[in-house]
Amino acid sequence: MKLLYSIYKEYKVLIRDKAGLAIIFLMPTVLIFIITLIQDSTFKSVTEASVPLLIVDRDNDSLSITLQKSLEKSHFFHITKKFISNQEAKNEIANGKYLIGIVIPEKTSENLRIKSADRISTLLNNFTGDTAKPVNPIDTSHLKLQLYFDPITKSSFKTTISNSISSIISQIEMQNMMISLNNKMLENFPYSNPKPLNTAPLVTTSEEYASFNNSTIIPNSVQHNVPAWTLFAMFFICIPLAGNIIKERTDGSAFRLLTMPGSYIYVIFGKMITYIIINLIQFALMLCVGLFILPLLGLPQLNVGDNFFVLILVAFSAGLAATGFGLLVGTISNSHDQASLFGAIFVIILAAIGGVWVPTFVMPSMMKHLSVISPLNWGLEAFYGIFLRNFGLKQILPELIKLWMFFVLTTIGSFLYQKKIRMK
Amino acid sequence: MESFVEIKNLVKKYKNTSNVAVDNLSLTIPKGSVFGLLGPNGAGKTTFISMLCGLFKPNEGSIFINGKSMQTHSKECKQIIGVVPQEIALYPTLTAWENLIFLGHMYGIKTQELKIRITNNLKLLGLYDHAHQKISTYSGGMKRRINLIAGLLHNPELLILDEPTVGVDVQSKQAIIDYLKKLNTEMGMTILYTSHHLSEAEEFCSNIAIIDSGKIITQGETKLLISENNCDSIEEVYLKITGNKFRD
Repeated sequence: MKLLYSIYKEYKVLIRDKAGLAIIFLMPTVLIFIITLIQDSTFKSVTEASVPLLIVDRDNDSLSITLQKSLEKSHFFHITKKFISNQEAKNEIANGKYLIGIVIPEKTSENLRIKSADRISTLLNNFTGDTAKPVNPIDTSHLKLQLYFDPITKSSFKTTISNSISSIISQIEMQNMMISLNNKMLENFPYSNPKPLNTAPLVTTSEEYASFNNSTIIPNSVQHNVPAWTLFAMFFICIPLAGNIIKERTDGSAFRLLTMPGSYIYVIFGKMITYIIINLIQFALMLCVGLFILPLLGLPQLNVGDNFFVLILVAFSAGLAATGFGLLVGTISNSHDQASLFGAIFVIILAAIGGVWVPTFVMPSMMKHLSVISPLNWGLEAFYGIFLRNFGLKQILPELIKLWMFFVLTTIGSFLYQKKIRMK
Repeated sequence: MESFVEIKNLVKKYKNTSNVAVDNLSLTIPKGSVFGLLGPNGAGKTTFISMLCGLFKPNEGSIFINGKSMQTHSKECKQIIGVVPQEIALYPTLTAWENLIFLGHMYGIKTQELKIRITNNLKLLGLYDHAHQKISTYSGGMKRRINLIAGLLHNPELLILDEPTVGVDVQSKQAIIDYLKKLNTEMGMTILYTSHHLSEAEEFCSNIAIIDSGKIITQGETKLLISENNCDSIEEVYLKITGNKFRD
């Protein structure tokens, strides 16, 4: 009964604290909206078609057509075709309008065909002993494709794009060679009736995301920001929770409650249970935002995976860690101002380290290693496991144990501080 | 007269300070008495009350309440103590009724019985009509009266009052004192009372102790203390013993 009435009292106090409710529910909702929208394009650049590419096609023949089709098929580029000079193309890239520019010179396809035929003729003549020079000497300068890159492009990205384009061109070259060989053989054996030559690649690669249950979910801004900012909000309740504890201490309520037989422990547990319930409501609300509201803004829908029980368990464990932290802040702080400042700064630092603001996969190596000290990172990794990798309880257990340990340590720390320092 | 509270050689030193907050203090509070504990600021009254309520442990000495040691039987001792702190120790956003229901349950009182006690107390102190108003809307005097009721819900045998009438109007002060007198005479409740209102203490308390620098300087029956010191009032006794020096 004592515990129930303590929870009921906390509920009444909280429900009438409009500013506290705004911090608890409104702040994370607004943050999820804003940050998800801001980061959406950044995440897309890592995952989806969004690289603006300019093609200046003066060839307008097989090579340029095949190259453009291959680039379109990759779903990695947003292609714009223009008929402008090299200098104009360079200027457009330099202005940042496009990330990459490709200039395909006039008659590139035609010259490629001639050069391919010439090479095949030379090769076959070597077998027949006819070493006469080719009739049409090739001007190789016409076969040079010009690539322009925006200076902000990272060298690794530049290399990847260059290699991809070279690979496509090599394939076209090879196809031309095979066609030339086919034609030459037909010249030498006019009465044969060969089947059309298959120029399709002999070796292909198969790609898929390595995940359980064949899940192939690609991380996007919703998948990152919804759990990240939910965890941030969960830990941010340390401010109202600590404020609540300090207020009771300064207005004499704690004094009165401590003089009652065994009651203060019920009051503290009542607070913790109330705030864990608040954390779970926050989590449910943010999940709804990701599932139903963000898609209305043109953002991807949150995929919550299949393990709903494990998802609730992670939210509950994060809630335990957050309330333990709030309890510690409230116990060691001497004033509401001190708790607000210390709590807010500490949560922001833990969030920054833990990959809430900037995901850990884009962090420098040193920061990636440092991120494992943040309880927000443990929660985030557990959510990633469920959302992106379809992990079960077994796989995320290490993260859950860390959150439970954090709760146990902060709670013990609070009780020890209360007993050894405040009541001495 | 049978003693209700027995304090023997109580010592309390806070960490990181050289001062002794309570220095070898011995005191007896007779059962059914209204005992006034008077003293200047920083004399050690709050530290003493905190130890008496079981909030702080003394470095030395013993506290017996109704024959039971606070150090070894704190739960039983706390059950018979009611505390009315100097601060308005209530939740301002809750109504008076909600505050009292919560605090009553923390004392382990059954809901039905608790509602009867709250109703009776609110009626006696003239607050029944305001029971469902938030504490934040109350006047200073109304808050003090609710603060008093909160300490009485479990019918304590010893009521500890720390400045119960500070900052209230004459009417509220009179209502509080009258109610306390009633509790003392009709229910035999032992009351420990601290205040800077010396005339109020003189009128209200049967016994008085004056504390300074953590030590009891004098104690006894109120009238006897005045006559033994050849004074006309307890205020004169107080100034004679503690002096005119500021205690900031």
